[in-house]
Amino acid sequence: MRQLKYALIVAGAVSGVPYAVLATPSDDTLVVGLSADIDTLDPGEISSRDASNVAEHIFTTLSSISVDGQVTPRLADTYTVSDDGKSLTYHIPPGHTCQDGETLDAEDVAYSFNRAADPANKFTGNTPGFIFTSIDFKDAIAPDPEHVVINVGIKSSMTPGFLTEVFVHCKDSYEKMSLDDATTHPVASGPYQVVDWTPGSEIVLEKRQDPGNFKTIEYRIIPEASTRTAELLTGNVDIITNVSPDQIGAIDNSNVARVEKVQGTRRMYVGFNQSAMFDSPGAMAIKKADVRRALQYAVDVPTICQQLLSIECERATSLVNPPQGNPDLTPYPYDPAMAEKLLDEAGYPRDADGVRFEMTLQAPRGRYLNDANVALAVGQYLSDIGVATNVELMEWSSVYVPLIRKHEAGPMFFLGSGGGLWSALYDMSDLAAVDSGPNYTDWDDPRWFSRWADIEAAKSPEEERTIINEMLKVFHDDGPWLLMYFQPDFYGVSNRIDWTARRDEVVELFDAKLAAK
Amino acid sequence: MLQSHPDGPFVDPAATDVSDTAAALPPRRRGDGWRRAWRSMVRARWPIFALVILGLLVGAAIFGPTISPHDPNRQNIMLRLQPPMVRDSMGHVKFVLGSDGLGRDVLSRLLYGARISLLVGVTAIAIGGSLGVALGLISGYFGGWIDDVIMRLGDIQLAFPFVLMAIMFLVVLGPGVVNLIVVLGIGQWITYARIVRAQTFSLREKEFVEAARALGASHMSIMFVTILPNVIAPLTVIASFNIASVILAEAALSFLGLGVPPSVPTWGSMLAESRDQLIANKWWLAVFPGMAIVLTVLAFNIIGDWLRDFLDPRLKTNG
Repeated sequence: MRQLKYALIVAGAVSGVPYAVLATPSDDTLVVGLSADIDTLDPGEISSRDASNVAEHIFTTLSSISVDGQVTPRLADTYTVSDDGKSLTYHIPPGHTCQDGETLDAEDVAYSFNRAADPANKFTGNTPGFIFTSIDFKDAIAPDPEHVVINVGIKSSMTPGFLTEVFVHCKDSYEKMSLDDATTHPVASGPYQVVDWTPGSEIVLEKRQDPGNFKTIEYRIIPEASTRTAELLTGNVDIITNVSPDQIGAIDNSNVARVEKVQGTRRMYVGFNQSAMFDSPGAMAIKKADVRRALQYAVDVPTICQQLLSIECERATSLVNPPQGNPDLTPYPYDPAMAEKLLDEAGYPRDADGVRFEMTLQAPRGRYLNDANVALAVGQYLSDIGVATNVELMEWSSVYVPLIRKHEAGPMFFLGSGGGLWSALYDMSDLAAVDSGPNYTDWDDPRWFSRWADIEAAKSPEEERTIINEMLKVFHDDGPWLLMYFQPDFYGVSNRIDWTARRDEVVELFDAKLAAK
Repeated sequence: MLQSHPDGPFVDPAATDVSDTAAALPPRRRGDGWRRAWRSMVRARWPIFALVILGLLVGAAIFGPTISPHDPNRQNIMLRLQPPMVRDSMGHVKFVLGSDGLGRDVLSRLLYGARISLLVGVTAIAIGGSLGVALGLISGYFGGWIDDVIMRLGDIQLAFPFVLMAIMFLVVLGPGVVNLIVVLGIGQWITYARIVRAQTFSLREKEFVEAARALGASHMSIMFVTILPNVIAPLTVIASFNIASVILAEAALSFLGLGVPPSVPTWGSMLAESRDQLIANKWWLAVFPGMAIVLTVLAFNIIGDWLRDFLDPRLKTNG
């Protein structure tokens, strides 16, 4: 049986790896296997977590979020907030340089912010599309080389945290570059610079300044989960992301690698799309809060976690990562009898065929941990209570993402949304306004959306917390998400390497080092 | 004039082959063809094995819903990834061939998968064959610019790798059984068109075609009533090989997620779902659907091989 196992591993590797068997990396090289390709490294366009993780090593930021969720210095050593909370002044100490040899100072920082916000560039990345809209970014000014002032339209305690995600880049080079060049020829402001990039295959970074323990970092694009695992086990790769839960045992028993398991922050949910474009009986049913509440009882989330994700999990109570959520809320239990009772009371009894109404559940295949199986399992649970559910699995980037972006996925759809640990408001800002980009369900409950003004007007953190808890109660009881779980993250790590995974999906490699022999 | 074929396509040499050698063979009695075919099969042995496999396949396709032990889509994630023949606490075997990543019965999904494989294989060949035969007859009968246009269209299609073309169509049309069958069918027409065209070229000047023309038969009648029965035999050989390749193509497209919806079990999608489990040593998820595909394709190929030999008059003595 052992021989069969290794034969299968080799067969998997040979069938999926385009570059045959490679040598074990040298001692000054760290190789990371990513599950998704990187389509751009223009700081204004970066939107995926994988691209952001690569960019993190190429571009610096004003500050960063530590493992425990605190804002810590990076390029800037201190910052102050104006009395009205709408101007943040960062101090940039001298001594930084760009890859092009020019000085990196406050002028570059202001340029980076204003470039990302410039409508002429038509950027749609995380910075303009999520960060700037969440804080209502106005402009950035550099009164002198050591100070930059960031002006925003919303007073919020989470603004410093948001600003940690804006990549600083070098004005002299980027002013001369076309947008196409900026996509593929990043000029580093951070510790590493790109020396080779083969789209769809690999990106090679070389160290130019501290921090970082490896001279070279190679990112290899290996979409197939079993191929990533095979590469790790054969020693060609040091760290892989998104290990399939069913392969954890094979890695942990290999004696050459281990799986780092962390409770991630990505909020996995099934959205109830309220859009008027859906008018089938099932779609009309899930526009009613009591039907949505009934369906919460139909799905056994802890069992899904245990069986399909290989973790024990507690079901989410809202869209906010613990411990920032409302402590008074308890997860919906798995109680199909209660679900059936509530659906009967809502006016949706079973018909002669045992069906209450039909439903389509759309889901991606291969984007999230065991996503297809989770969606199919949810479909089975819903069918069991008489909601005849047809699960449609879709290719992620070219089919599912366009539907999601246009808010046309559904009537029910399975999705994950990246979250944070440092602020409840950060997680809640997905639904900052009815027309927010990430409000993919087109939910418009005024008991939620009208409270954002109250939060801005709150005079103390305690008052703000009270409002947050009230909003989360509304979300829990009548919200647009079928609450699922916070996705665990599994990283395969070679025993050659010492590296600790973070909870927030940030794959930071500065502290990675060779393990003591 | 068209001759009757009381014993089916295996009997009348004039109807199955246009060579003079065939025409010289003595006439046979009703039932001779089937008996000769059976004797030939028994002598060759392998076609019997293939027939048994195909019989089981057809049986599974027809009686699958009756004989499958479980609903193929019924999940039980508490019983996922059970190896074959595992007994429960009562000593009962719940999953003879094991369960998959969602706790669905592998055997039941294999039985239902047979239905899809057969449906896709036979229907796609029927579509591709009908289209190819019609266009081949028109092309070979009329010749000239009509022939040029049809054959150049075929050349253009052949310039694209078939799987790539199928992926393009299915991305545009969307996955689904009907779309899959149409795409696979359209992909096959040129094979049939070329063979029928070549046969029609040689037949259209034969005396019996001239006779039909002299008697005032229309072009349609000459093509489909007079010529077509005489080109059927080689097509049956091609079709038997083609079914195998179409089943493989269905498996490949389902493996890529472009085949049928997830609620429809197919051997290709079962293989696709087994990918992540191979390293985890869940061999039964790949081995059983893989064996089903291999055996089915092998059976069709053996039958095709035997048919080719059987219908070739030069090999008849070797039977």
